[in-house]
Amino acid sequence: MADHSAEELAPTPGERTSRFFKRADVQQTTLFFILWTALFVVLGLVFYPRWMPTIMSVEMKSAEAIMIWFTVISAPVAAIVLAVATTAFMNRHRGDTPPPDGPAIRTNGPVVAVWTVTSLVFALVAIVWGLTEMNAQAVAAGKDAKSAIVVEVTGSQWVWTFNYPAQGIETHELNLPVGVPVTFNVKSADVNHSFWPVQLGVKIDANAQVTTVIHSIPTKVGHLDVKCAELCGLYHAYMETTGEIQSASDFDAWVLAQGGHKA
Amino acid sequence: MSTLDKAHTSSRPVPNPKRSLITRLHMGTGVVVGVIFAALAYWALRNSLLTYTDKVADPLSPHDNNIVLLGAMFAWSIGFMVGIGAFIGPWRWMIGKDLTDEEILYLAGDGQGVKRYFKYCTDHKVVGIQYLVGVMTLLGVGGTMAMMIRTNLARPGGHFITATVYNSLVGLHGITMIIAMIIVATGPFGNYVMPIMIGAYDMAFPRLNALSWWVLFTAIPVLCSAWFLGGIPTGWTAYAPLSIQAGPGMNAFIATIIIFAVSTAVAGANITTTVIAMRTKGMKWNRVPIFVIGSTISVALAIPAFPTFMVSMIMTALDRTYNTGFFDANMGGSGWLYSNLFWIMGHPEVYVILIPGVAALMEIVPVFVRKPLFSYTAAVMGFAGIAGLSILVWAHHMYMAGWAPSLNGPFMVTTEMISIPTGLLFLVLIGTMWRGKPWMKLPMLSVFAFLWDFMIGGITGIYLSDVPADSYLHGSMFVTAHFHFTLMGAALTGAIGGLAYWYPKMTGRMLHERAGYISFWMTQIGFNVLFFGMFMAGAEGQPRRVMDYAAFFRNSNLVSTIGAYTVGMGMIILLWAVIHSWTKGKIAPMNPWGAKTLEWTVPYPVPLTNFDELPVITSDPYGYGKGK
Repeated sequence: MADHSAEELAPTPGERTSRFFKRADVQQTTLFFILWTALFVVLGLVFYPRWMPTIMSVEMKSAEAIMIWFTVISAPVAAIVLAVATTAFMNRHRGDTPPPDGPAIRTNGPVVAVWTVTSLVFALVAIVWGLTEMNAQAVAAGKDAKSAIVVEVTGSQWVWTFNYPAQGIETHELNLPVGVPVTFNVKSADVNHSFWPVQLGVKIDANAQVTTVIHSIPTKVGHLDVKCAELCGLYHAYMETTGEIQSASDFDAWVLAQGGHKA
Repeated sequence: MSTLDKAHTSSRPVPNPKRSLITRLHMGTGVVVGVIFAALAYWALRNSLLTYTDKVADPLSPHDNNIVLLGAMFAWSIGFMVGIGAFIGPWRWMIGKDLTDEEILYLAGDGQGVKRYFKYCTDHKVVGIQYLVGVMTLLGVGGTMAMMIRTNLARPGGHFITATVYNSLVGLHGITMIIAMIIVATGPFGNYVMPIMIGAYDMAFPRLNALSWWVLFTAIPVLCSAWFLGGIPTGWTAYAPLSIQAGPGMNAFIATIIIFAVSTAVAGANITTTVIAMRTKGMKWNRVPIFVIGSTISVALAIPAFPTFMVSMIMTALDRTYNTGFFDANMGGSGWLYSNLFWIMGHPEVYVILIPGVAALMEIVPVFVRKPLFSYTAAVMGFAGIAGLSILVWAHHMYMAGWAPSLNGPFMVTTEMISIPTGLLFLVLIGTMWRGKPWMKLPMLSVFAFLWDFMIGGITGIYLSDVPADSYLHGSMFVTAHFHFTLMGAALTGAIGGLAYWYPKMTGRMLHERAGYISFWMTQIGFNVLFFGMFMAGAEGQPRRVMDYAAFFRNSNLVSTIGAYTVGMGMIILLWAVIHSWTKGKIAPMNPWGAKTLEWTVPYPVPLTNFDELPVITSDPYGYGKGK
């Protein structure tokens, strides 16, 4: 060491960075970081669109977007953890005696600080995104309150009943006109249920003696599944029905066929 | 009796407190007295209630029947504790005396060999083994139920079991596993290893230690009795008003929770006191092994959390017996009151489960990569931050309840903040691994599995904490997959790592390595297949807790069932390895992993008082590594 010049003993930050990235374990970690990031990004972009049902409402679109983009955003964070782990795994030690001691790194202030700040930023992104979406949905619901079609939903063991007060009909299938905001007033005749029109991506519990409310704006014509998402006793699994998001004229025809009238 | 236990027996003459009742009581007398108490309570309550109602009206009304059953269940628990001698000490105090020294030594199980495991034994090492066997039994029972659930769900229209049985399985699998997971690390390792780690002769309150285990033990037959009383239809959440409407099996659930809450309160007080008051000389707070910190934070979190569960169950019992209407909206009560009480316990509880598992892995990593724990402070802050925030997030389970929509935003904020302390836990683990060469033994494998599983569990948790996404996912199979990734993938993996790590100290033998590896890979691969299938089913829109589903969900469910069977086989291999190695495994050296914590400085069998002379601590136990 005595022969080294002062400059070499105290490298500049640039030199330190370039030395850092020339280390074998750092290069290995970087490679795995890229691979894991790519895997999670692909997983996020493929998994939800592939497995989730057709998007048929504004709310469903927002739910799916959140799942996709939260996966993509968290990909680098997940990848850094898994990259370090993979690198350690690749450099593993076998045998019946412990490996030689590694460097005695007790902590690293800047790393802990950067890590904490980064996770705070990610948490804030998720929070702000979620709050913004919630607010947008609440504003839309308020704006549409007058024009919305109202459906009184009653859950009872183990049947859904839908009452359209303005149309004067009561059915067990949930048909709705496309593009018209809908307000569901939900209650239960007995135990707790949870009203879940699957492709609309919204959900609310049905409780006895109180009415809970959710809104949705159907955007696409098609088949609709209605399920119960709260364990409600013996035949919870079979407490389901179907319906359709229809064009305005089809919906009117259906209402008339049910013995109702135009709102 | 293994040779090692014989060595333990012959170390000292058996204390012989002459004519003391204590020497004659054991689990068997406990069961006998418990059954007598239960029968007497059943008979007395039934007859007294029959005199009130018309005798012709026999059988009793459901309400009166609930009173009789609950009374008999609590009488069993109290009777068992009387019969095993739990109240002899307090009774002596009442009459102004105390146990003799001989009796205290006898209670500690000194020189009694295997018999001490069936007695009211105050030795923390005996209690640790009792907990270990108890945990494995509960996991086995809960796992068998999971296999039955997955068998029924293997294909659409499956009627392997009836709807009543299926719903009961869902609830009993849930509560069995929750109880098992709450004690999975703090029970066996917290009792056996932790007092040695902090350099204590025993726990602070040895008799309370025995009490916590045996009270928990009495809950097991009570829980099992649910099967003979028609099962429970509510799932482990036991939401009202479904629980009020439920049949007599519900009483078993209620009594189990109340008994279990007593056990955890006693154990929590004991563990926290021990760690605060009985650390050996020189063990300052920054020198305490991280597993001890994690376990202490976990039980300290349980102390305020479980009483609300107990209260909610007492109120449910009152609704079911005396029509008090606390949770019945038709009588002016509220089901939301129940959900609040339940989740005020329920969310801290998942961290009560998680933290000791992570802490066990943090104990393992430095040993196997031969590096100091990276940022001890961050680890402590992580645990403390999670514990602190966890009491402010309960209503994210109620986003879709309609209870207080305007609170969804605030609860979303607190919930997503938890990702910050959780991130610190990841940082500590990978920071410790960084630039190390991990020694690929069984305990270390669990660390890798944990990082993957908890990552998936964590990220999916972020969507679920987000209200607009949760409005689709809530109550679906997606949620089930998410919390299995955290509770099973993270916490159970951590506890299995802990088992492989401390097994040599607890049994004197090494865990069968080959079987351990096979089990590890089968369990982990099967687990990921199982719950990726369930994520798919959830994303597709399959609700949870359903006994049947549309043909549309057939592929994802089949994948899940195949994964489940793989996990089941892996767990059976692990069980075999644990049982086989206990008597036939390689004899373990005193410190097989070359670790620096105190438990590895004592021989096996661990002497009754652990240390002849208490050690003095001068540094933390993570002094590995060459100078920086």
